[in-house]
Amino acid sequence: MVDLALSEQLAGTERITAVRRFGRSDARFRNLTYAAALLVFLIFVGIITSLAAGAWPALKTFGPAFFIRLEWNPVTDQYGALGPIYGTVVTSALAMLVAVPVGIGIAIFLTEICPRSLRRPIGIAIELLAGIPSIIYGIWGLFVFVPFFQRHIEPAIIDLFADVPVLRDLFAGPPYGIGVFAAAMILSIMILPFITAVTRDVFETVPSVLKESAYALGSTTWEVMTHVVLPFSRAGVVGGAMLALGRALGETMAVTFVIGNAHNIQESLLAPGTSISAAIANEFTEAVGTLYTSSLIAIGLTLFVVTFLVLASAQLMLRRLEQRAGGVSA
Amino acid sequence: MNDMRPVTTAVRVDVRNLSFFYGRTQALNNISLPLYDRKVTAFIGPSGCGKSTLLRVMNRIYELYPNQRAEGEVLVDGENILGPKQDLNLLRSKVGMVFQKPTPFPMTIFDNIAFGINLYEKLPRSELSDRVEHALKRAALWDEVKEKLRESGLSLSGGQQQRLCIARTVATMPEVILLDEPASALDPISTAKIEELIDELSNDYTIAIVTHNMQQASRVSDYTAFMFLGELVEFGETEKVFTAPANKRTEEYITGRFG
Amino acid sequence: MKNMGRYRGRRIRNRFFLSLSVLAAGFGLVWLALILGDLVWEGAAAFKPTLFTMSTPAPGFDGGLANAIFGSVLMSALAVLVGTPIGILAGTYLAEYGRHSRTAAVIRFVNDILLSAPSILIGLFIYELFVVTMGHFSGLAGAAALAVLVVPVVTRTTENMLLLVPNTLREAAAALGTPRSFVIRAVTWRAARAGIITGILLAVARISGETAPLLFTALNNQFWSTDVMQPIANLPVVIFQFAMSPYELWHELAWAGALLVTAAVLLLSILARVYEGKRGLR
Repeated sequence: MVDLALSEQLAGTERITAVRRFGRSDARFRNLTYAAALLVFLIFVGIITSLAAGAWPALKTFGPAFFIRLEWNPVTDQYGALGPIYGTVVTSALAMLVAVPVGIGIAIFLTEICPRSLRRPIGIAIELLAGIPSIIYGIWGLFVFVPFFQRHIEPAIIDLFADVPVLRDLFAGPPYGIGVFAAAMILSIMILPFITAVTRDVFETVPSVLKESAYALGSTTWEVMTHVVLPFSRAGVVGGAMLALGRALGETMAVTFVIGNAHNIQESLLAPGTSISAAIANEFTEAVGTLYTSSLIAIGLTLFVVTFLVLASAQLMLRRLEQRAGGVSA
Repeated sequence: MNDMRPVTTAVRVDVRNLSFFYGRTQALNNISLPLYDRKVTAFIGPSGCGKSTLLRVMNRIYELYPNQRAEGEVLVDGENILGPKQDLNLLRSKVGMVFQKPTPFPMTIFDNIAFGINLYEKLPRSELSDRVEHALKRAALWDEVKEKLRESGLSLSGGQQQRLCIARTVATMPEVILLDEPASALDPISTAKIEELIDELSNDYTIAIVTHNMQQASRVSDYTAFMFLGELVEFGETEKVFTAPANKRTEEYITGRFG
Repeated sequence: MKNMGRYRGRRIRNRFFLSLSVLAAGFGLVWLALILGDLVWEGAAAFKPTLFTMSTPAPGFDGGLANAIFGSVLMSALAVLVGTPIGILAGTYLAEYGRHSRTAAVIRFVNDILLSAPSILIGLFIYELFVVTMGHFSGLAGAAALAVLVVPVVTRTTENMLLLVPNTLREAAAALGTPRSFVIRAVTWRAARAGIITGILLAVARISGETAPLLFTALNNQFWSTDVMQPIANLPVVIFQFAMSPYELWHELAWAGALLVTAAVLLLSILARVYEGKRGLR
């Protein structure tokens, strides 16, 4: 058996040297993690700086008018961002218009209606689908959705609205298949699983006592959803939708395949258009000349600023929800 | 063996005018008391009275969190451990602590014990094994785990996990052991084993134990401190505190009239 | 009686809206099922063993995806090799050292922005940083772009998982006189291991289908190449270029590639879930 008293003394001297060693390696490790964290920040700064630097020639040449000019002509070296901005905004808005209600509907279905045994498998399937790369949605859109859309749905829509004043112009022929509307549809299908997954998670933060007490008052499921669950989780649902909007705005591959890459703005949603990311993806490697490249980077910078604002407000909302959820459980 | 040793009343830890703050809230107010060498001192009192806080000052574990602050002095072997020059790791290697809930590390039973030893000593493999065995024996756990030293520490029962944690603390050969309600999460049989163990360890270590269980305090301790609302109300030999308390509040508490 | 009438109204409204949500679920799930169904159908039809042995062909010739598969695996591996340690260390700083600091709050915020920033802009960033300075496209630039995507994912999951480790474990380790860095490496990392691995797997899943950031970093290469200093073939860009081409054989290869990518991503996600499930069971 070890002699305790003796070992204790031996350990005493060893302890001092060990502790000195600790001090050094402690500081080294801490600095290492700090450096890594700082690198994350530097990447962010690097993105802004490189985009701003790359965009400078175009912004200097065209001035603020760059953002409201429609002309995009590599031959005359004249560029304006309005077309891509319009395409990005319209496709994202339309996609949100479809995906948000449907996504919330699926989330309600999953948390309240779906038989318990199916909730987990469907939930997992939705989460897996949210991780599928966007290029898959793009290739499916190009080869399957667009031909079908062109042959069966577009003619029907054009006929349907032929006599309705405003819609007649929004949905004017000819049926190209590809175009702003098709891109928006693909985009909405792509962000649908994401919205569903986030909304469902947010719904699950609602304490079940709250729901139970509402049911105990004789509320119907729908009333519990609208009067208890949605008000409680509003910040989270809006935050999740903003995250989805951030994705939609910057999405490249699901859009590029089917939007048609035309730098113009037409009244008809069925006409081809372009978006910021689609324009960059299609033209960047082929762009010759400083001004052309710089203009593409400039619309990229625009996209970055817009998505930053959207994502930042999404963060703030989700963080507020997190704090409140923490407060309730405490 | 106990009787062979001369009766010592040497002070191992001396708490002097200690106050403690969580942010702006004061949790301890001007506490002074000694921990006698190789004696068990129990801290009792209603929850929130500051008894755990006092323990957490003695190894400065509170420093893991921001906005917590101690004022006054705590002398360990005559040195003020609250001083700015005190190395925290060195202090904690001398003043060990066992927590309310068992906290086995996510590694094997052997590694759980060897972890603390390896921090401060470079031992050859065979010697390390001896030390691990010795520690497990001291914690009365050896017979139960000697066949499965390579299994995860998390595979043990709650009582075994707690004894593993005690063994882990003993293995680093501290001078003082702080026990923060070590049996409150355990069943009666495991509790009895822990109490036996405390009695046995008090031959070699200075022990401070926080407990909300008055019987436990009277069974295991030589000295008892009764605390209330961050103040030390009474401190003395356990027998005296429990049979003839000097303070009325102490009497009310130990007879179960409040708390 | 009036009350009963009101109740009936509420019930009808309940039925109506719940039916709408069932409809929404059906609508959404049908699209997603269609996509997966078509993908498997078309991809399986184009599937053949030579996919793995032959390189991408010129128009009109027979070929496979071997060079693209290799390029994708190579760049992903490089990206994970570089991005994972940075992410783990950064996440460790946020969870362990900087939990209450202002610096950490800023970095946490920035990291969350990077997590969902448009990946094509990451491509532009790396283009300016690598391609412009090197003077040509390269696999190295592609790997760098992917690494920039890996870092925020790993950082976030690492932080989350470390925050789940109970403080009592940190206290217990510190109470033995363990220095902070040892506590982290030997105890908290180990306790959060399953979760951190989940994060890495999710990061790999994320980058294995990323196309946009590779378009003008790695570019593409019709031939077998292992030189990371040169443009290198990769599945996503091959899928993009072949799908946009007018050639039927290239379309088939694009479908086969899409199926491969999806299978890889799903496999990784499922693996990640299995690991996540293991957490806390040990």
